[in-house]
Amino acid sequence: MSTTRLPPHPAQVIDHEHPLSFTFAGERIPARAGDTIASALYAAGQRTFSRSFKYHRRRGLLCGAGQCPNCLMNVDGTPSVRTCTEPVRQGMRVQPQNVWPSLKHDLLSIIDRFDWLLPVGFYYKTFIRPRFLWPLAEKVLRRAAGLGVINTQAEPKGGYDHQYRHTDIAVIGGGPAGLAAACEAASLGCQVTLIDAQPELGGHLRFQTRTYADIGERSGLTGFELARSLREKVTAQPNIDILSSATVFGSYEGGLLGVMQAKRLIHLRAKRVVITTGSHEYPAVFQNNDLPGVMLGSGARRLLHLYGVQPGTRAVVVSHDETGLTLASELLTAGIQVAAVVDSRYRLPEAQDCVQQLHRSGVEVLTSYAIQEAHGTAHVDGALVVPLDARQRPFPHASRFIPCDLICLSTDRAPATALVAQSGGELHYDETLGQTVPQQLPPQVFCAGDVTGIHHLPATLVQGRLAGFQAAQSLHAADTSAPSSHIQALQQELDTLEQEYRHHYEPYPQLSHVWEKKKQFVCVCEDITHKDLAQGVAEGFDEVETLKRYSTFSMGPCQGRMCATSSARLCARYAGSELATRTTTARPPVTPVPLGVLAGRRPQPEKHTPLHHRHIALGAEMMLLGSWKRPYAYTTPDEEHRTVRERVGLIDVSTLGKLEVRGKDAARLLDTVYTHTFSTLRVGRIRYGLMCDDSGIIIDDGTVSRLADDHFFLTTTTGNVEFVEQWLKWWMAGADLCAHVTSMTGGLAAMNIAGPNARQVLSQLTDTDLSAEAFPYMACRRATVAGAPALLLRIGFVGETGWEIHVPAECGEQVWDAIMTAGAEFQIVPFGVGAQRILRLEKKHVIVGQDTDALSNPLEADLEWVVKFNKDDFIGKRGLQAIQERGRRHKLIGFALRDSSRAEGGQAVVVNGQPAGRVASAAFSPTAGKCVGLAWVPVEVASGTSPLQIRINGTVAQADIIDDAFYDPQGERLRS
Amino acid sequence: MSFLLACPNCGERSVYEFRSGGEFRQRPPASVSSHEWARYLYIRKNEAGETTEWWYHQLGCRRWFLAVRDTRTNLVKDTYEHD
Repeated sequence: MSTTRLPPHPAQVIDHEHPLSFTFAGERIPARAGDTIASALYAAGQRTFSRSFKYHRRRGLLCGAGQCPNCLMNVDGTPSVRTCTEPVRQGMRVQPQNVWPSLKHDLLSIIDRFDWLLPVGFYYKTFIRPRFLWPLAEKVLRRAAGLGVINTQAEPKGGYDHQYRHTDIAVIGGGPAGLAAACEAASLGCQVTLIDAQPELGGHLRFQTRTYADIGERSGLTGFELARSLREKVTAQPNIDILSSATVFGSYEGGLLGVMQAKRLIHLRAKRVVITTGSHEYPAVFQNNDLPGVMLGSGARRLLHLYGVQPGTRAVVVSHDETGLTLASELLTAGIQVAAVVDSRYRLPEAQDCVQQLHRSGVEVLTSYAIQEAHGTAHVDGALVVPLDARQRPFPHASRFIPCDLICLSTDRAPATALVAQSGGELHYDETLGQTVPQQLPPQVFCAGDVTGIHHLPATLVQGRLAGFQAAQSLHAADTSAPSSHIQALQQELDTLEQEYRHHYEPYPQLSHVWEKKKQFVCVCEDITHKDLAQGVAEGFDEVETLKRYSTFSMGPCQGRMCATSSARLCARYAGSELATRTTTARPPVTPVPLGVLAGRRPQPEKHTPLHHRHIALGAEMMLLGSWKRPYAYTTPDEEHRTVRERVGLIDVSTLGKLEVRGKDAARLLDTVYTHTFSTLRVGRIRYGLMCDDSGIIIDDGTVSRLADDHFFLTTTTGNVEFVEQWLKWWMAGADLCAHVTSMTGGLAAMNIAGPNARQVLSQLTDTDLSAEAFPYMACRRATVAGAPALLLRIGFVGETGWEIHVPAECGEQVWDAIMTAGAEFQIVPFGVGAQRILRLEKKHVIVGQDTDALSNPLEADLEWVVKFNKDDFIGKRGLQAIQERGRRHKLIGFALRDSSRAEGGQAVVVNGQPAGRVASAAFSPTAGKCVGLAWVPVEVASGTSPLQIRINGTVAQADIIDDAFYDPQGERLRS
Repeated sequence: MSFLLACPNCGERSVYEFRSGGEFRQRPPASVSSHEWARYLYIRKNEAGETTEWWYHQLGCRRWFLAVRDTRTNLVKDTYEHD
């Protein structure tokens, strides 16, 4: 049944000289460059494009514009691709979806006969008992209903991206109204972004071959010529950005538009939004209205004029206004026999060219007629039409059968108002237009064109200019006085045109009746019929939003484009309410958006320390800690541990958070936020600091060094510096403190040299006296190390004589190299996080965030010595006092396992066989020769004498509670 | 959430640049009753309407300021630095 292509025509978008081919269900299909998958399939004679969601009925091409669910197919492994908008690429593989075994013979279409098993809301009524069948029923239903299958084995394709743009005025929709608005706004000097879903600007004009006589200076042009002329004008404007093949899927607050362009998500921020999204046709409700061969008029037009494909050989055109009549004459021109034009109006405007052409060609024009049924089994073979009385009620017994293979519906149109509603506009049902149209708009939103319910090109062009002008003018609020006459003139012109249009417009009558035998589909996505909706209302769901949730109409791939108005009208009819007006809420996204587009490129920010390349050169095993890449080990943690304890080691600690606090009230600020006192700290000394929130929970710890009376240097835990900076600034805001907090984290490289030989190594590189008397434990000095200005902090996280050396980031490698060279005679080795974890654990040093959680307080974490209750108020004082009054419930204790087993963080501490605590961290200590760690246990366990019981992989290991550090409990090595 | 927020220091920016710091509340003096203190720690007004709240311009000047926002509409009436 393949159709021959029409001869080339300037409106066509296909290249007749450039053949392509692809496969459909294994069969080779010829196509031409510019074809969509659906147009090529249609030209090749394919009429059934999919099987319906519930009943597996045949579905053919309906809208041809990516609106309806009828042409969804699997393309190269991607399910649910709208083939009527997807361009053909050479060699692509297309498969039908949701069919078994094939599109032509789908055995599941048997469901259509058993529709009484699937009444409206059947999932609330059936498959309830017996419950044990639920898993089976779910499997069967999931297989029978659905929208294609995602291949979970497929490699993620990638290539997704996000983009952020700003513009003065966003114009959504590149049809005549949008083009006029963009031109007008741009000519007033505004930056305009024009977003259009089609590959080429022009909207519906692209497939209009009729001549327009009443559009001012461009009168006499055909639709596609007018589109070209407007397009040229827009592209010539330098301040119009054009986003083609881009869909606005949502309008959000602050003028933010979500725009999808292929695999890119554009966050477009616009000061003004002009919505010219147009309208779309949707099918009238009549018997068998889903049969292949029933096509929307705009769909037939697209096939005919854009792709040169004849949509049928003998057509019945159902119309109620000029659009349908011109379509009939266009079909005639293309050599298609028009069996009849069925028009619901009593009288046609005889003066129109298209009416005269129809008469000349001898086409039967039936006025006061409507369609009652599409006839046929696999495809339309005729139309049953019925005369209407003066009140537009049908005479069913006078129906006529007209043989045909194509029924074009130019009946109902719905303005695409979803974005208007999302932008804050109010919609209302306009009786004379039979449509839901925008009524109230927020000040930054403007509408023009078919979206206002006026489908009249002269009015559309004026509306576009007016909207563009007003949007531009509202941006330049100052100079509004002069051009108001211009607005008035446009408004007047528009009012005349609109009145004229409304005067002649008659909405298509709603004829369908519930008693009719054959199915009359309202929602083609979810297979919801007129009868289903009537029954839903009868069961009490008489409000459109509840009826939607009960029946699932408008919840399919088309998101109500094909059914929202019909359903609202039917709901109103059966509920007996006047509110035919309310349609369901259109939330974002307006069109389906692949999750990949929303996710965008996978962000994997990775922070590297200034010494990163040294670690790589040394072949370190790197690990990701938070967002930092850090060396885990260069050799083995045990080996490195031994070197630090016996000789000397060097570790990169640049990831530490580093903050400078300066100002005359710096000490007061630190006294407030830390539990310790810092106003008493002498210059040149360091104190350990612990930070709590107001309920007494530990939030951070680190060292605080006083460099001058009004100058402190803070270190924080690695991942927490951003938080601590904000925390300090927050307590400063409004507290009348003179202090400044500056993050130095990225600007400084830091390394820690530690071990019995650390002093010998470091003293080779600096003139500063490093002796225990001149530079004692917990002291800090400015110094020059290997020629670099450095801050030396004598602290000992790992429990050995050592210095933390902070130098400018750019000097990091120089100092590192110098230390490694100077340390060569002591066989210095670099050590990583692995060794550091063991070293600190042997000293029972707590890591905030690893050993503590959102319920840990210093009193229970064995850090009471840092809390100075005797000082004035500090953050957390009140909370900690409350804990003290209440009494401690848990305690963080050190433990050493008795046998050779290995514990790790997260394991349960058991008391009488019940979990009562947990291991916070643990590691094998080469010094102690066994596994040591920290654990949270109830206080009675902590003070008890019986051994600790830790559940390790199903067996219970015994452990001793150790009060002191496992290594150097007196801190002699640290201070030496 | 995609509204614009006028940082008193940097001007109008996308809300993505900011971190919300929650409702503005005065920290009560240490002398208040435990009941009052617990209210301060754990109870929020969570108003459906105009709320004064803390915002931090994380991707900008890195300063805290106060904003008067209607939580129903996300319309920001005023922003100012705390003094």
